[in-house]
Amino acid sequence: MADQNQNSQPSITLVYCRQSLAEGEEPFEGKRTGQGFTARLVLLPCSSKMQAAYLLRILEQGQEAVQVVACPEKACQHLVGSTRAEKRLAYAQDLLEQVGVGGQRLGLERGLGFTIDKIMELAGQRAAAVAELGPNPMKGVSSQ
Amino acid sequence: MITAEWKPIDELVGYVRGFEKVLLVGCATCVAECAAGGEREVETLAPLLTMALAKEGSQVEIVSGTMERQCEPEFIEEFAAQAEGAQAIMSLACGIGMQMVAERFADIPLYPGVNTASLSVREEPGLWTTRCEACGDCVLGETFGLCPVSRCAKSLLNGPCGGTRTSGNCEINEDTPCIWNRIVERAHARGQLDSLVEVKKPKDWSNSPAGGPQRMLREDLRP
Repeated sequence: MADQNQNSQPSITLVYCRQSLAEGEEPFEGKRTGQGFTARLVLLPCSSKMQAAYLLRILEQGQEAVQVVACPEKACQHLVGSTRAEKRLAYAQDLLEQVGVGGQRLGLERGLGFTIDKIMELAGQRAAAVAELGPNPMKGVSSQ
Repeated sequence: MITAEWKPIDELVGYVRGFEKVLLVGCATCVAECAAGGEREVETLAPLLTMALAKEGSQVEIVSGTMERQCEPEFIEEFAAQAEGAQAIMSLACGIGMQMVAERFADIPLYPGVNTASLSVREEPGLWTTRCEACGDCVLGETFGLCPVSRCAKSLLNGPCGGTRTSGNCEINEDTPCIWNRIVERAHARGQLDSLVEVKKPKDWSNSPAGGPQRMLREDLRP
């Protein structure tokens, strides 16, 4: 029964830059359950590693949304990494809008000093934002 | 490089609608450099098409890959196994590559994923500008290395036209430098302004695309 509930909950992929974590906060990779959603956490050395193709492939696998967590513009260790991530995400959002899948399925939040609990909150906000879009059309189609 | 741009998304979706298995192929050379048809673009378009059709209630299997050069038969041949069973092929290469693929897999309908645009350079990140129109009768030796055929809105051989803006840009497009203004500046810098006084005769356009399909033959290279 618990499994059934989990399967019906929106699944969010949470991709976060290691820089955005609070000092001393232990990075976490893997699945976590939030309130009304499940999240798959992926740690990146820099948010700019995230390409438009990866974002779309994640959605193609049936995930409801992708929440990217990046460091602030001036704090990027690679100078323009988080800016590039933002532009790529905006590009992918536009493509999703054009095919009617919904650009809101992708979101980006900048910040420093996040805890894992805090970025899970961001994933929860993304799950709430996409709730009105209805399920990802790939849900049940892909073998995620 | 040859530049290209994605066709409108609804046109791309329309091409693959109704097929169950589509081969989507990119090219790792020019169209990769201009971010239209390389591996990244193929891997972006494939899930996008899949999701667009899923949204309509259709399912399509998109097999994707990127050829080293879509204009060379040897590289196309490597995709023979992937083309097996495909009901359609969508190519993100330039028009040359697309036609080579269409020729090799003549029994499978091929659809263009891009519009081939121009012979351009990457002027700065995200900006490509035309440098050549393959007109077949190059005049760069007389125009200080700046092409008026491709870079003047009117392709004037005797310029400038008189419509140059005070900024030195073109009257047709304010973001585009007036190439004749640049030619004059370069001639001036070399102390050769007089060379521009002479009226240039009309070019031989018979070697240009307007002269019909071109054929270049080198007997010394033939088997």
